[in-house]
Amino acid sequence: MSYVPHIDESACAAHGDCEAIAPEIFRLDDVAVVIGTGGDELMLEAARVCPAVAIRITDEASGERVFP
Amino acid sequence: MSEPIVIVGGGLAGQRCAETLRRCGHEQPIVMVCGEPHRPYDRPPLSKGVLHARQAEETLSFRSADWYDAKGVELLLGVEARDLDHRARLLELSDGTSVPYGQLLIATGARPRGLPMFDGFENVTGLRTVEDARRLRTALVPGARLLVLGAGFIGQEVASAARTAGVHTTVVEAAAAPLGGLLGPELGAWFADLHRSHGVELLLGEQVSGVRREDPPGEIGDRRRVGSVTLASGRTVTCDHVVLGVGVEPSLDWLGASELDRTGVITDVDGRTGIQGVYAAGDAAACFDPLLEEHALGSHWESAGRQGSRVAKAMLGQDPGAPAVSSFWSDLYGTRVQYLGHASLADELTFDGDPGSRSFTATFTREGRPVAVLLAGRPQMLPQARALLAGTAERVFA
Repeated sequence: MSYVPHIDESACAAHGDCEAIAPEIFRLDDVAVVIGTGGDELMLEAARVCPAVAIRITDEASGERVFP
Repeated sequence: MSEPIVIVGGGLAGQRCAETLRRCGHEQPIVMVCGEPHRPYDRPPLSKGVLHARQAEETLSFRSADWYDAKGVELLLGVEARDLDHRARLLELSDGTSVPYGQLLIATGARPRGLPMFDGFENVTGLRTVEDARRLRTALVPGARLLVLGAGFIGQEVASAARTAGVHTTVVEAAAAPLGGLLGPELGAWFADLHRSHGVELLLGEQVSGVRREDPPGEIGDRRRVGSVTLASGRTVTCDHVVLGVGVEPSLDWLGASELDRTGVITDVDGRTGIQGVYAAGDAAACFDPLLEEHALGSHWESAGRQGSRVAKAMLGQDPGAPAVSSFWSDLYGTRVQYLGHASLADELTFDGDPGSRSFTATFTREGRPVAVLLAGRPQMLPQARALLAGTAERVFA
């Protein structure tokens, strides 16, 4: 539970894959928004399937970028 | 303003416009005129998950019925626009009523281009609506023979789904290579090889010259079916089903006597037409493209959505910001292909990675400046590609 997601709004095209995979973390408006937290792996999966690669994930503890 | 914002069309551009209007605080009524009898739904899955039977039709809707109720967006389903009287600010509908509007978005999209010789045959489909996808999926049974006309992205995705379903697939394309006109011969050859390596019979530089009718045996009545086609070279291709993938044309016949261009409504970068209070977005619009420096038809999914959002902000007098570089994606036999920018502007093509493999980056440049990128099997490179092109776009906008 140490990963933190960030949505790049200019890149997000509201495909909605993140919400489908992790509805407790992401919600789709006309762009995706972060609404909560969830497991690292789930978050990473959502970021990986995003067709726009608009989800950036950082490790809260180290501050390092995990994805992309 | 007391008259509603009226959105003509129930596709992505219209949906995003409604969503952005509400997110940006617009509280007046919104009416969406949807020609199909369905709530607005997403079309890319039709040629992707739905044909592969991996995605159920019920999951296609952008939003639940409750969402439209809660957001105060009135849906007129199965109702088409018939005419636009912009002087009276009235939209006439197919049910005989008319709707007054304060501002109007034209987002009626496009329909697959037909070929007259295939008119009236029951085993010929385009792929645009959920009904098209349903009919086509029924035809994709192992051992069936499918003929795809046109090797654009839709034709290629259908071929990929058909081969995956064990269907004998023939693709007929008039050009020398799939997407050759757009991406050039080298990448065209890559797409050709991709399909052939998955068992597609790909006939290039070919055209259909004749259709042979073969109605189902024992049937009385007028069920007309294509049994085979003859090609210009004299070759015959037998088929159980035909998919037309030879492009689309804007659905704008309803504009009637209005002065707007029915071959694609010309707009500025924010979707404004020449008529005060009337906007256009998506496949029905020929939106000004700052990279191309001209009006361009044929927006794809991402640009249709972004255009719908930009129109919403323009309607509200808010700044839509700089237009983003949109990307297009396609999944072919499990390889993701992403394309950004405009290869038509390029004078040089360079590769990172082996263009004979399933993973490489093709960068198109003009006088050394990147104008387009094609990624094969490298989805994670998208942000870099976008940044590369955004730099170019910024120089153009400056």
